[in-house]
Amino acid sequence: MKPWVRYFFGSGELFIWGCGAGLSLSLLMIGGLLVLILLNGFGYFWPADLVELTLKDGKHVIGQLAGEEVSPKGIPRIRMKIGNRDLYGLDYRWINTDQIIERTKPPDLVMVERREWGNFYGRLGTLHKEDQIVAEGSDAVWQSLPPLLRHQESSETESGYTLRIVDANGKEKSVSLSQVMRVLRPNDLSTLEKLWVYVGNVWTVLTTEPREANTEGGIFPAIFGTVMMVIIMTVVVTPVGVISALYLREYARQGVIVRTVRIAVNNLAGVPSIVFGVFGLGFFVYGVGGTIDALWFSERLPTPTFGTGGILWASLTLALLTVPVVIIATEEGLAAVPREYREGSIGLGATKWETIWKVVLPTALPGILTGLILAMARAAGEVAPLMLTGVVKLAPAMPIDGTWPFLHLDRKFMHLGFHIYDVGFQSPNVEAAKPMVYVTTLVLILVVVTLNLTGIVMRNRMRKKYAGSAV
Amino acid sequence: MNVPPFAPTSALQEEPPSGRGSFPASAIVGGLLSRRQIRSITDRVTRFIIKTGGIGIILCILGMCIFLVKEVIPLFQQAQVTSTEPISLSAPESSSSAALIGIDEQQELAYVLRGGSLGFVFLAGAIPATPEIPLRQLVADGSMTAVARALGKGHNLAMGTVDGRVILMAIEFTHEFKGTDRSISPSVTVGAPIMAAPTPQPISKMAYQSTESDVRIAALLQDQHLWLTTSRTTSRPDGTAAASITQIDLTPTIPGRITAFTLASRAEILAVGTAEGNLYHMDLQEPASPVLVETTRASEQGKAITALAYLMGDRSLVVGNASGQISVWTPVREHPGTNMTHMALIHRFADHRSAVTNITISQRDKGFITSDEGGEIRLHHSTSDQTLLTLTPQHGPLRNTYFSPKADGLVSLTEGNRLIHYHIANPYPEITWATLFSPVWYEGYDQPKLVWQSSSGSDDFEPKFSLTPLIFGTIKGTVYAVLLAVPLAVLAAIYTAMFMHPNLRAKIKPTIEIMAALPTVVLGFLAGLWFAPILERNFPAITAMVLVLPLAIAVSAGFFLILPASLRHRIRPGVEALLLIPIIVAVVWGCLEANAWWESFLFDGHYKPWLESHLGLNYDQRNAIVVGVAMGFAIIPIIYSISEEALSNVPKNLIAGSLALGATRWQTLAHLVLISASPGIFSALMIGLGRAVGETMIVLMATGNTPIMDWSLFNGFRTLSANIAVEIPEAPHGGTLYRTLFLAGLLLFMATFALNTAAELIRQRLRSKYSQF
Repeated sequence: MKPWVRYFFGSGELFIWGCGAGLSLSLLMIGGLLVLILLNGFGYFWPADLVELTLKDGKHVIGQLAGEEVSPKGIPRIRMKIGNRDLYGLDYRWINTDQIIERTKPPDLVMVERREWGNFYGRLGTLHKEDQIVAEGSDAVWQSLPPLLRHQESSETESGYTLRIVDANGKEKSVSLSQVMRVLRPNDLSTLEKLWVYVGNVWTVLTTEPREANTEGGIFPAIFGTVMMVIIMTVVVTPVGVISALYLREYARQGVIVRTVRIAVNNLAGVPSIVFGVFGLGFFVYGVGGTIDALWFSERLPTPTFGTGGILWASLTLALLTVPVVIIATEEGLAAVPREYREGSIGLGATKWETIWKVVLPTALPGILTGLILAMARAAGEVAPLMLTGVVKLAPAMPIDGTWPFLHLDRKFMHLGFHIYDVGFQSPNVEAAKPMVYVTTLVLILVVVTLNLTGIVMRNRMRKKYAGSAV
Repeated sequence: MNVPPFAPTSALQEEPPSGRGSFPASAIVGGLLSRRQIRSITDRVTRFIIKTGGIGIILCILGMCIFLVKEVIPLFQQAQVTSTEPISLSAPESSSSAALIGIDEQQELAYVLRGGSLGFVFLAGAIPATPEIPLRQLVADGSMTAVARALGKGHNLAMGTVDGRVILMAIEFTHEFKGTDRSISPSVTVGAPIMAAPTPQPISKMAYQSTESDVRIAALLQDQHLWLTTSRTTSRPDGTAAASITQIDLTPTIPGRITAFTLASRAEILAVGTAEGNLYHMDLQEPASPVLVETTRASEQGKAITALAYLMGDRSLVVGNASGQISVWTPVREHPGTNMTHMALIHRFADHRSAVTNITISQRDKGFITSDEGGEIRLHHSTSDQTLLTLTPQHGPLRNTYFSPKADGLVSLTEGNRLIHYHIANPYPEITWATLFSPVWYEGYDQPKLVWQSSSGSDDFEPKFSLTPLIFGTIKGTVYAVLLAVPLAVLAAIYTAMFMHPNLRAKIKPTIEIMAALPTVVLGFLAGLWFAPILERNFPAITAMVLVLPLAIAVSAGFFLILPASLRHRIRPGVEALLLIPIIVAVVWGCLEANAWWESFLFDGHYKPWLESHLGLNYDQRNAIVVGVAMGFAIIPIIYSISEEALSNVPKNLIAGSLALGATRWQTLAHLVLISASPGIFSALMIGLGRAVGETMIVLMATGNTPIMDWSLFNGFRTLSANIAVEIPEAPHGGTLYRTLFLAGLLLFMATFALNTAAELIRQRLRSKYSQF
């Protein structure tokens, strides 16, 4: 045997490389996933150029390029987002490359964003007011549109304008101007202008309500619902978790019982979230909620007020789900407070409570905050328990509004995670909804990863800081 | 780690009372309490609050399990029965035993048809001050010889007389509300008599059913002839209706003495039992020409069949015989693939002590009541194979029995003319441990099966609650996830802990921790909508990757090793993983490019037909591979973190000693580190298992959620957790489905709790072992 062969197998270097491969694969998987989400999510906002294709059969197609591949039969083809759902019934279309004679990007192509039926790609035809033609020809209409749309935004009344748009093959479509949200000529925009449109698109998605069965428009209610729920959960879980941890670490006699309790609490963190959902449904919604209804809202029965899922019950369920995280982190924080601090405090004549309040808790604060942040991150990403306790695909009203008592804890709410599930898997037109799902995923991941990073960095700093003490 | 608790030494108490000077006056609050006292009280109050609060909160958290158990227990409770004081009725003059009783849905008003008259009796707890309803004599006492009841809406009765007439009547109960007052009143419609046979003869036994168009009466006359009468109403084109009556004598087709017969509720089938124990099935779709479909030997040792009834849904037939045996028969296909059926015995129940005289079915579920000669009645549930209740006669033998429309009560008439009303609390008759976990023979199935099917479009559908397919699905998903995750995660952990460059390690560890925090809904979405189609298109490429990737890694490792030492030493040790990344990317890309070639090489051109013909497997787009990868992805970080912790906690002096004695890196790892850390890695595996068992969103989104039992990689499954998420929002509060789903939740809870506890105990032992070094 040659020496390198023996070295190769005998020394086990090969296996070390194998271990390395395991890590590389894991890293590639996570990296690939993040890149996939970032590309798809951020790509959604970019006003891509409109392409006009001339096909061999003489037909024209206008749309945005959405991908290229080799079909299972070995023919290269491209995927176009052709829009005009009301005319074609489809959002996407495959076109074999050998069918295409010419690809052009005429500057007069427009993308009309409508309240219903999705985008329209084509050319501007005429602009009517009642029966009279106000402007005719692509450019003339384009010139006259901006002030009208701006005016429409500020006024409530119906303007009476109708826009006629023409698709690639000359088919006309009339749209009432009130249905039009925006008209863009992407091919006519410079990169800087596109960037501006991009920022505008991001803003729109983050701040507006969804349209078209959640597949278009914004995701503001879902963001708001998620944040709201996490805040209520935090308000509940903080005192509960901290008091329990204080008891376990500072007041309880350390023995078998406390150790058992600690293991039990620890294990609760590993109980599936759906079980918490089941508990929340049975205990909070039907148990507590049903009792509240029977006592104070009996006049509305059998329509339940609190006896059905709502943001309060969802938050409480998630609080229960995350309380072990907070207890464990707080305990760790309390344990990390050097013994000398307490001895010093007691030695100076402080009572136990004063020691805890003035010395121990402030020192342990980073640990507690870390626990809270990790709990919030977990809560923001959980979906399964919410599906049982109050999340809906489309909430008619926000949990906070201008009517008394302003904060409506009994209302159902929308949630980013559930939005992903609902839009991606329950909507009738999954293909058209996919970009929206990627955007929602991106927002959710940004929220969760930011929270987690903060938590992890804080924890690592704290561990370093107290590395010399009793940790 | 464990700081000894702080001894509650209170500095306050030991403070010398004659301190240095007194407290400043400003510290006196209200002139009553000194500042010291306030501090002491605050301390005690907070101690109390934290202690009670802490204990309370922890008890609440742990009380979750108790709550789940509490919700599940009612499923397994025995049926409860409470009887009310018997009501004595006047005895009829005639000695005929023919009688029928019934009760309204609210169980307030009972009716009794006997001796040719129809009377009403208010039961205990009925609305006060309800006027008495006079007895209505329909035929002369003594001339009523047989009675029958039709199933369906309302109470449709038939009375057969000594001169061969059949009188049909319908009773309806109307509830009226006047403010808070309520009243109940019956209305009785009596139809024109129909002759049961061409010649007038006393009717000794009768069966009756009515449908929208037909009225069907089967009557056994004194001369042992069974006549079938069909009165069919057909609507003419001009809107008027015409009735046509067809009568036929069925006796010639049935050998033997007829002892029992019953009509199915849709009146298309007549089942006839004979004294020899044979069961004859007649198809009555054509009124003029009934067809004998099947003859079954339905009674052991040729005992006479004494009672017959179709269960709700008209599929299964309950047979009672002269020796008290009760069995349920249902049509079963002779061979898979044919439509030919034969009656098969699917359930047997405990024998009565004497001949079965009557069978009354529930209009709610597959339950039924049997009564025997000795006056005892029993309540059974067909599907769950259990006898729920036995009511022994206390006030004389129980003769006529009626199961209330909601199946929550029954009335019975004793031989001594007393009416007894029983309330039955039996909300979950279909659930037993056996129906939840072992195969059950449902109607319409060829053999006992494990089925989960909680709802369906049809009306007479019977929900099937077997948790076994769901437990199977849970295990299947977990196994595939663990198969992918454990090798990857443990290898990665070994590499990070033992061989990786420390600078790199400080960056890699948080990255993988972040991966742990990725919401599973995101993984589920990508698995279902992104990965599943890609896998479907490139399945051959993926199989190629599994083969090529290890080879490529080995080759590149070898290549690096045979590099000249001067070059090799330029590469810092502990960055092998980074060097491998471009290689892996290249292999993956290459395999994807070679997909078509590989498909024609390995799978004869198309892999789906190949799988079908060579392995008999069907390829679903959302299958176990997709879930395995996505769920594996979800549990890699947790297994990685815990294993890494266990590996890097192996005392450094041991490793240094091993290396110093000349062992290679690998030998140190294999013979020292892995062995000492193996309990930690094992506990990581268990925590990973716990995660996978309860994972909901990934399974929900990345499988078809079909509750089938099959280990195939290429089809989906349904797990306990996904099942809860799918079904509980639609489950009525407190119903069977709701509680069964709670049981599923409890199972998940217990499984993960056990796994986590075991893992935690192992870790604690490991920790104390290492602390010796």
